[in-house]
Amino acid sequence: MTAQLTLDELAGLMKSTAGLTVDPKEMADRPDSTFAEYGLDSLGLLGIVGALENRFGRPLPADAERTKTPRDFLELVNTDPVTTTGA
Amino acid sequence: MISPHVRRSVVTGIGVIAPNGPNTEAFWKATKEGISVLDRVTREGCGDLPLKVAGEVRGFDPGELIEERFLVQTDRFTHFAMAAANLALEDALLGRADYNRSPFAVGVVTAAGSGGGEFGQRELQHLWGQGSRHVGPYQSIAWFYAASTGQISIRGGFKGPCGVVASDEAGGLDALAHASRTIRRGTSAVVVGAAEAPLAPYSIVCQLGYEDLSRSDDPIRAYRPFTDSACGFVPAEGGAMLVVEEQAAAEERGARARAFVAGHAATFTGASLWEESREGLSRAIEGALEDARCAPEEIDVVFADALGVRSADRAEALALADALGGYAARVPVTAPKTGFGRAYCGAPVLDIAAAVLSMESSVVPPTPNVVDISHDLDVVTGKPRAAELRTALVLSRGLMGSNAAMVLRRGEKSPS
Repeated sequence: MTAQLTLDELAGLMKSTAGLTVDPKEMADRPDSTFAEYGLDSLGLLGIVGALENRFGRPLPADAERTKTPRDFLELVNTDPVTTTGA
Repeated sequence: MISPHVRRSVVTGIGVIAPNGPNTEAFWKATKEGISVLDRVTREGCGDLPLKVAGEVRGFDPGELIEERFLVQTDRFTHFAMAAANLALEDALLGRADYNRSPFAVGVVTAAGSGGGEFGQRELQHLWGQGSRHVGPYQSIAWFYAASTGQISIRGGFKGPCGVVASDEAGGLDALAHASRTIRRGTSAVVVGAAEAPLAPYSIVCQLGYEDLSRSDDPIRAYRPFTDSACGFVPAEGGAMLVVEEQAAAEERGARARAFVAGHAATFTGASLWEESREGLSRAIEGALEDARCAPEEIDVVFADALGVRSADRAEALALADALGGYAARVPVTAPKTGFGRAYCGAPVLDIAAAVLSMESSVVPPTPNVVDISHDLDVVTGKPRAAELRTALVLSRGLMGSNAAMVLRRGEKSPS
């Protein structure tokens, strides 16, 4: 079973951990848009990484908290062999 | 004579979030009338603690005032500070259009006594209950003393000199003095003040070691400074933020100079050494008068520290006598905080707000719940007293030994 993170879920995490209301459709339509444009700073992304690590029960790749865009973040999380084979 | 080169600081905006009013107008109405809102502690998880009476800010919904992205990363003390800063900026009519081209001309200074205890407790419970991976990253900033200054600066886009004063309760006055020095050095405006949120389980437990904390369960009798029945002080939440501007900069944008920050001095005499605070406080008063070039007889009203501990009250009365001479027994003294509690660093800033509003309204607000003064002071009790007020002296002492005094001069009368 794989744990593919979707833009919907990412938007949900941005809301629950960083208090940001972001339309997942906008993130899909503008694939180059950055976390900064949605108001998410490095601490906010760290919170999302932490929430996902607790959900998966294992660490995300170290680069996850350094990604700049939702697309890069999803790509990294969803292709990571550790996370995608777990949960 | 005042040198034309001296850059004077004027108060142009006041924002209050207090137990007796969630905005400046409500605060002043309750303060002027001497309405007491001290009550049993009702905040979650605090019911079984030995602190029974406090001044809670009720009916405050931060979600109505502050964006969620700021709320999730901040403690209640910062919610109060951000909301009060909003009110102060609105009151001063200082908006982004005024400083967008020069954001470096506006700074932020707050004082803090304990930081964000409620947020910190929640995350520490996650740490010990679930493990370190369950501690959110905002713990690193939310319970920090500097959180309110930082968040106000980020939210408003204020890029000028920012600072945090951690000098005990008297830090509320020291923050204003710091803002004045910042203005003297070239900054146009400073958003300055303090707000505290000490009413949460962990935060209350931290205060239970204070001998000076009132254990009374009767809101009417819990906080009675300057009387024989004084039994300690009652803590409170909330505070006030002000907009302080350089006089010419304020004039240039048509803002009204409501009061001048005329003089300040601070001393230190050691934790809970109230007898020693007599000399420390009198030196602070003398220093503030000298700084303001103010004679004792020019003081029209004193906002007292009024700790409610007999030795401390005696020291304050004697400090006034030492610094003001025989005039100490004649000048009206008030302590509106007996009606809503001591908000630590927020307390003297609330007194500054009340002092400005008192001078504007030509009335000395009373000292609620206090009767039968046992010191040689003219404490205003019962009802407000009409008086022409040109100059106010505000005093503050902290439990850890800081003493401070500030002199305010009345600004321009309201056009109304």
